[in-house]
Amino acid sequence: MSYRARRTITAYFMILPAFILTAIFVMYPIVDSFLISFYKWDMLSVSKPFVGITNYIYIFQDPLFLQALSNTVLYVVSFVPCVIALGLITALLLNQKIRFLTFFRSAMFIPYLTSLAATGIIWQWIFNDQFGLLNYFLGLFGVSAQNWLNDPQWTLFNMVVMGVWQNLGYVTVIFLAGLQGISREYYEAAAVDGAAWWHKFRMITFPLLSPTTYFVLILTTIDAFKVFLQVYVLYGESPGPNNSGMTLLYYMFDKGFNDYHMGYATASAYVLFMIIFIFTLAQMTLSRRVHYEG
Amino acid sequence: MRNLFIYIPLAIIALFVLGPFIWMLSTSVKPSGEVLSVIPHLIPSRWEFDNYAKAFASSPFLLYFWNSFFISFVETAVDLTIGAMAAYAFARIDFIGKRALFLVLLATIMVPGEVLLIPNYITITNLGWVNSYQGLIVPWLVSVFTIFLMRQYFLSLPQELFDAAEMDGCGPLRTLFRIVLPVSKPIWITAALIKFVGAWNSFLWVLVVANSPSLYTLPVGLINFSSNEGTVYNQLMAAATFTVIPLVILFAVGQRYFVEGIARAGIK
Repeated sequence: MSYRARRTITAYFMILPAFILTAIFVMYPIVDSFLISFYKWDMLSVSKPFVGITNYIYIFQDPLFLQALSNTVLYVVSFVPCVIALGLITALLLNQKIRFLTFFRSAMFIPYLTSLAATGIIWQWIFNDQFGLLNYFLGLFGVSAQNWLNDPQWTLFNMVVMGVWQNLGYVTVIFLAGLQGISREYYEAAAVDGAAWWHKFRMITFPLLSPTTYFVLILTTIDAFKVFLQVYVLYGESPGPNNSGMTLLYYMFDKGFNDYHMGYATASAYVLFMIIFIFTLAQMTLSRRVHYEG
Repeated sequence: MRNLFIYIPLAIIALFVLGPFIWMLSTSVKPSGEVLSVIPHLIPSRWEFDNYAKAFASSPFLLYFWNSFFISFVETAVDLTIGAMAAYAFARIDFIGKRALFLVLLATIMVPGEVLLIPNYITITNLGWVNSYQGLIVPWLVSVFTIFLMRQYFLSLPQELFDAAEMDGCGPLRTLFRIVLPVSKPIWITAALIKFVGAWNSFLWVLVVANSPSLYTLPVGLINFSSNEGTVYNQLMAAATFTVIPLVILFAVGQRYFVEGIARAGIK
């Protein structure tokens, strides 16, 4: 047996366990999910009639799904700019020569690590209309108490606040790493020219940071499309008042594990997947035009 | 003067980030009478550690803690072992079909995990694993991200290391576990921390697979406790603190690896 053939066999043995598990629990489900979306099936019965694209037609005519779609998109377009702007500002502040850098950096990271179940419950308590911290705090500035969790007009706001809080540390850490990768020489040259702070940001920092910005943009957007758990926890296992917190993933969960409509559930999961896929593809095409260093 | 423009915004951001945790800790030791006061106090008049005991008495949090720990530990240990083996093969062995196999694995990262939920639930049902540890653990034993992270690191190791191992007559497995892993400490600690935290916080899968409280993990147990005792906020915050603290400790120990690992993964 040749040397290469022997190495190939060894390599296959080393890959095998990882590959088998991935095949069963990742690759097969990707295909299976797609197939199930063309059947009417409650998961328990033997009867599983093929219904073609009926499930897709159904969900796109279901007002609840359309609401989930619009809520999710609204969440993405509100959350992503907020978290990126705030993360960038925080990273710029931390990138100065400051004391307690490690403390700040670590402290900011804690919400990202902790379970959404626990943090959701903390926020539920903060948003409490009678005894919550938020109403008290706003009261100090003369703002009247709001019924944060029972008034549908605040649902998006609550979701964004909690989402930004949870992800800020992560975004900041990535931006900070990107900032630290920018060579000092550019700033020294700019200082010689007497460039103002804003000028340096616009002409050096922002263009040279753009690969990082695109990476963060893609990552946070993909994540934002999958919003579910913060609603589920914040509103006590419900999609919020008047379904104002119904999202695509919540819809999938609801159809699958409350209604046992596997066809609708997998169809909506695939719609979510396609949205994310198209978005990522579009971003990647755009990012080819990003300014890279060197 | 210039410093004020840096420290004041940073203090506000830090308050926003840490405020909810401080509020959680404060509420968790408040006597019931003070929890529902219109003017909130940060420092309770009396420290009521009894809230923790009461929360533990009405829900088996120690069992949830054990489940969380056991599930996360097994997933992390297996993921690191078989992930390192696959990563080694992809990084340092030249074999037929390598590129294609690696691309197939890598492509699966793009698919949101939620798409897998229903088919995996059906697989687990067919195996008779609903409401069991196998059902909770086995689907998550491998993460392609771990393989990817380790492969990148193994690629960067000097060839001399591998030549020396081969001269000594070490096979690939021995080279991996005796020589490569000991010098790859930063990357496997990073991978282990990321995997462990992910497993610890996993929610949706546990929610659908575990039907009885004996299999609940801390996050799911906490939500269950919350729907039963929803308005007892001091006990609820005590339970939330108990869920949060283990990871904060873990993070405090490994924070250097954590933050740098995330940043490194982000930059590539």
